Amino acid sequence: MNEGGEGVGTGTRSGGSRARPRQRPYTGVAVKTEREQRRSEASGDVIFDVRDLSVLYGDFRAVRDISLPIHEHEITAMIGPSGCGKTTVLRCFNRMNDLIEGARVEGQILYHGVDLYAKEVDPVEVRRRVGMVFQKPNPFPKSIYENVAFGPRVAGFGGSMDDLVEESLRKAALWEEVKDDLRKNAYTLSGGQQQRLCIARAIAVAPDVILMDEPCSALDPIATLRIEELMRDLVRDYTIIIVTHNMQQAARVSDRTAFFTVEVGEEGRRAGVLVEYDATERIFTNPSNQRTEDYVTGRFG
Amino acid sequence: MSMPEPRQHFHDELASLESAVGDMGERAERAIGNALQALATGDERLADQVILDDDPIDDRYLDVERRVLDLLARQTPVASDLRLVSAILHINLHLERVGDMAVNIAKITNVTRALPRSDSILAALGEMGDVVRPMLRTSMEAFSRRDLDLARRLPSMDDPVDRLNRGMYREVAACAGDQDLLEWAVHMMVVSRQLERVGDHAVDIAEQVAFLLTGEFQEFSDDDG
Repeated sequence: MNEGGEGVGTGTRSGGSRARPRQRPYTGVAVKTEREQRRSEASGDVIFDVRDLSVLYGDFRAVRDISLPIHEHEITAMIGPSGCGKTTVLRCFNRMNDLIEGARVEGQILYHGVDLYAKEVDPVEVRRRVGMVFQKPNPFPKSIYENVAFGPRVAGFGGSMDDLVEESLRKAALWEEVKDDLRKNAYTLSGGQQQRLCIARAIAVAPDVILMDEPCSALDPIATLRIEELMRDLVRDYTIIIVTHNMQQAARVSDRTAFFTVEVGEEGRRAGVLVEYDATERIFTNPSNQRTEDYVTGRFG
Repeated sequence: MSMPEPRQHFHDELASLESAVGDMGERAERAIGNALQALATGDERLADQVILDDDPIDDRYLDVERRVLDLLARQTPVASDLRLVSAILHINLHLERVGDMAVNIAKITNVTRALPRSDSILAALGEMGDVVRPMLRTSMEAFSRRDLDLARRLPSMDDPVDRLNRGMYREVAACAGDQDLLEWAVHMMVVSRQLERVGDHAVDIAEQVAFLLTGEFQEFSDDDG
């Protein structure tokens, strides 16, 4: 292993001087410059501005004082231990918590500058614009075609339904696999295909944002990677917020990561809090907060 | 009451890798010391021993490299763990190179043993050795103690090495009148160059320590010191 070339005059450092050109600070080993680039080009405005958000179930404060901006055309991942409130926060973005009796929201979520919880805002319209994909694929017990067509039909879509179904299935990277079987029951599909069908169904109503609550936790690794690939494609057209237990999934797929944890406050009351929110490469190479560091490195005891 | 750490085995393996690299550091520094002693005293047996002693350094280098790849593939380290793995990988390579430089010096000792020598050149080389060995020790100590201030002292420690290496040209030129002495002196230029590179490797190790501790990679320059 001795290098013959290490002798005189072959080194790149002339005359022992260490006055080499100073390089740009290098902030991590995980090379994601292309993604970083894409983010700086594509990411635009803040689509959701969360301000001092707390969610209460009756007396129980599930999450406390969350503030964070969600950026357009980015994938934002929310990670943290069980009970940290990440799913609760996710469900605030399309007012799903309204459906839970006793649930109450304090603080504000501005969506394109509009208070999402203002009286005049129609939660049904919110849910059309902010779609959701759940942990377990949940297609309707209908044909593949009907699963996609159902939402637009209810919403009074007047164009060519065939075109819309095809376009939605294409965007969900499912078209090639099902184009000859559109009349088959959706339950005949594999789990990964069913989840992509649910994504197609969400896309069909022309949403602005797609919320994903553990979208891959019921899928095998290959189906998981396909969904992750799909997410990177979809983010060109949509904004995606994903809750995941899989830290590596957040690292692979997201542009920004929010780390939540559980804090035990006065009288032993537990509440979810946001610990750190930053570019994903930062969270996974050099997080600012020790609690984030302990969680992502598995020192969280 | 705290629960057991969820990734104990992984973190044990990281600690074990770090200690393997610490061992590499001691061996590399000892190799440079022995090589210089063999050169100063013309001790052929010691020079041969330096060459033999490089095999375990290379074995350890390969072992650390293999285990790091294994960790990367199977444990996906992140945050400070990721920076530590990266630092281990780099420091490991720097130390392996230092081992090679000791071998180069030992080989030069053996090919020049029949030639006349200059005491002043030998003294200058000894002086360089007295600087670069503590540099290696200091950078490895900064690593094991996670001491950023200590790491930042390395560039200024390197200054006398650069000065001595530059002075070597004049020393060698002064031997021009005697063909055999000149041949020996030109070989000593190579030794000087090797020692200067050892100093650079020590500074590079300190840069890795700074990266590990700050998450920012910046090459040290003399004015940082």
